[in-house]
Amino acid sequence: MTASHFAQDAGQIAAERLTRGEIDRRSFLAAVGALGLGMGFEPDAHSAEAAEIVVCNWGGVAVSAFSKAYGEPFTHKSGIKVVVVGTGPAVGTIRAMVESGKVIWDTTDGGMIDSLTLSKNGLVQPIDYTIVDKSQVPDAFAGKYGVANYVFSNVLAYDSEATRGIAPESWTDFFDLQRFPGKRTMCKWIQGQLEFVLLADGVAPAGLYPLDVDRAFKKLAPMLPHIIFWDGGAQSQQLFREGEVVMGNIWHTRANLLNKEAPRFKWTWSQNLLFASAWSVPKGNPAGKKVFDFINSTLDPACQLTLFRLMGNGPSNPKTLELMSSQDAAVNPTSADNARTHIAVNPAYYAEHETELQNRYLDFISR
Amino acid sequence: MLPHSAGGYGVSNFKRTALMLTLPASIVAISLYAAPIAQVLALSVTEPTIGWSNYQRLFANPAVGRVVMTTLKVSATTTVLTVLASYIVAFELIHLSARLRRVALFLVLVPFWISVLVRAFSWITILRRQGILNSALIKTGIVSTPLELVYNLLGVTIGMVHYMIPFATLLLYANLSDIDRRIMQAARSLGASPAIVFYRVWLPLSLPGIALSTLFVFVFSLGFLVTPALLGAGKVLMLAEYVSIQISNTSRWDLATSLSTALLLVVGALVFVAMRSSALRAVFTAKPQP
Repeated sequence: MTASHFAQDAGQIAAERLTRGEIDRRSFLAAVGALGLGMGFEPDAHSAEAAEIVVCNWGGVAVSAFSKAYGEPFTHKSGIKVVVVGTGPAVGTIRAMVESGKVIWDTTDGGMIDSLTLSKNGLVQPIDYTIVDKSQVPDAFAGKYGVANYVFSNVLAYDSEATRGIAPESWTDFFDLQRFPGKRTMCKWIQGQLEFVLLADGVAPAGLYPLDVDRAFKKLAPMLPHIIFWDGGAQSQQLFREGEVVMGNIWHTRANLLNKEAPRFKWTWSQNLLFASAWSVPKGNPAGKKVFDFINSTLDPACQLTLFRLMGNGPSNPKTLELMSSQDAAVNPTSADNARTHIAVNPAYYAEHETELQNRYLDFISR
Repeated sequence: MLPHSAGGYGVSNFKRTALMLTLPASIVAISLYAAPIAQVLALSVTEPTIGWSNYQRLFANPAVGRVVMTTLKVSATTTVLTVLASYIVAFELIHLSARLRRVALFLVLVPFWISVLVRAFSWITILRRQGILNSALIKTGIVSTPLELVYNLLGVTIGMVHYMIPFATLLLYANLSDIDRRIMQAARSLGASPAIVFYRVWLPLSLPGIALSTLFVFVFSLGFLVTPALLGAGKVLMLAEYVSIQISNTSRWDLATSLSTALLLVVGALVFVAMRSSALRAVFTAKPQP
């Protein structure tokens, strides 16, 4: 569920940026006015004729960011209204909706892994690639049940003052208490947490999946007393800011924010773990096939650049890179330099094993 | 239903009419409450297959066992500490003058009115490595490295006890203020020292209050979500958080519903057994003294 948590978190980031005056207040106010359940719904939304597309993401200012980056251009081109709802497309919620036959969302921003999990339970429709142009994104991002809208990475962030100027270079340094004394942080949600442990233990990137969970737990066990587990992006940032931790495995968007806050917080792109978020379409969605026109429009480089600049999410369409400035490129996971040593997380593996892994992991860290 | 009649039958008719009038609202409220619970119960025996397999697997699942043990441990510790602290506060409250008592009661109630999230975050601010408490301790030289007061069991216990004290204090205060002071005077006049008066008179008379607040705090702690989740940061995994994760994140509705139902049944049994004790029955039958 990391993609979902990430999306929610990206919205929070935009909210914080607003308070610092970096984002247009008008679009934020529109979102704030609509915060809460059923936000953005007009009275006639329930008549559900393909007069509008309902998009569900994780809320906060992701609502206005998606409206600006995805909604406005699409409405401009096609005349169909786009309503962004921030309720949060949790797997459980979608399941309840589809099983009761009352689906109110046309597409959800859930993550490639979620799209596979949902498909296993028969809750989503395949993406119609006769309408959505597959060639706009790399093959790995065009799954049967989900097409990637943006990407993000887990990176090794550190406090350069606490490490006395020595820069950690790889995940092995996470485990080096001699050279880097102090606490670390990693995520409570399993996605992207065991991979770096195995990499630090010497597993080659090609041989990561299926994950050798016992080996990862064995490596992680002695570090447990030194680790604080973050639950959400803001918390991961806060732990650094408060001096609780010296280094950690956090989302690149948060690492970027930390660095902008105080240059002593840095991160390395080395061996970053790349995730893709994705559009899924629940079965029985109100707008029917029209939603695929919308999805197709979100793969446009201009849209993706807008979203990147608003929330920091990397684009899924490689053409967007051509539109980026060098400043943009430095903090984008898909830029050539940053992507050199990245490891793409395997969605199919997680779709199969996430439930069991998450519970094993929670049990392990609480012992 | 008999129409209104004058004279002796008027009161019970009125009561009956009044009751009938509240019935529609009660039915709506209860069914809106009971229906989701019934759904959870139903899911626990139908998901993924019909039968008791979820419960069988529950008892065989060591991870669930650990979560239950942690929950019991934390709840028990919290209950003991809370009732102890609350008894002291309540005892002091009833011996204060009326004016001071108002102030003190207000101070007890203020945290009550603050959201549980705010309180949890405040505790983090106080207890963290560079937080208020550690900074003070280091500055005054009492310790040289920061103490680990949060993101562990200690932090969770502190947060939970702090949250529960107002509840237990008010319950105990209600009970203690009902105790007739003349009994104490009688004990003193018979030659009992203050200590004897406390142990042989106050304590036994306050058993109903102690029993009730113990039961209340314990049951409440079993289902606690926010405080342990925030202050424990993964290290202290309790039932409520575990169930919440199974519902939303891992979609293991079989595990979530069977565990919730089990908790409901256990708490129900606990309350049922506790209510049979004379101490608790005294709470509900005690008449206020003139």
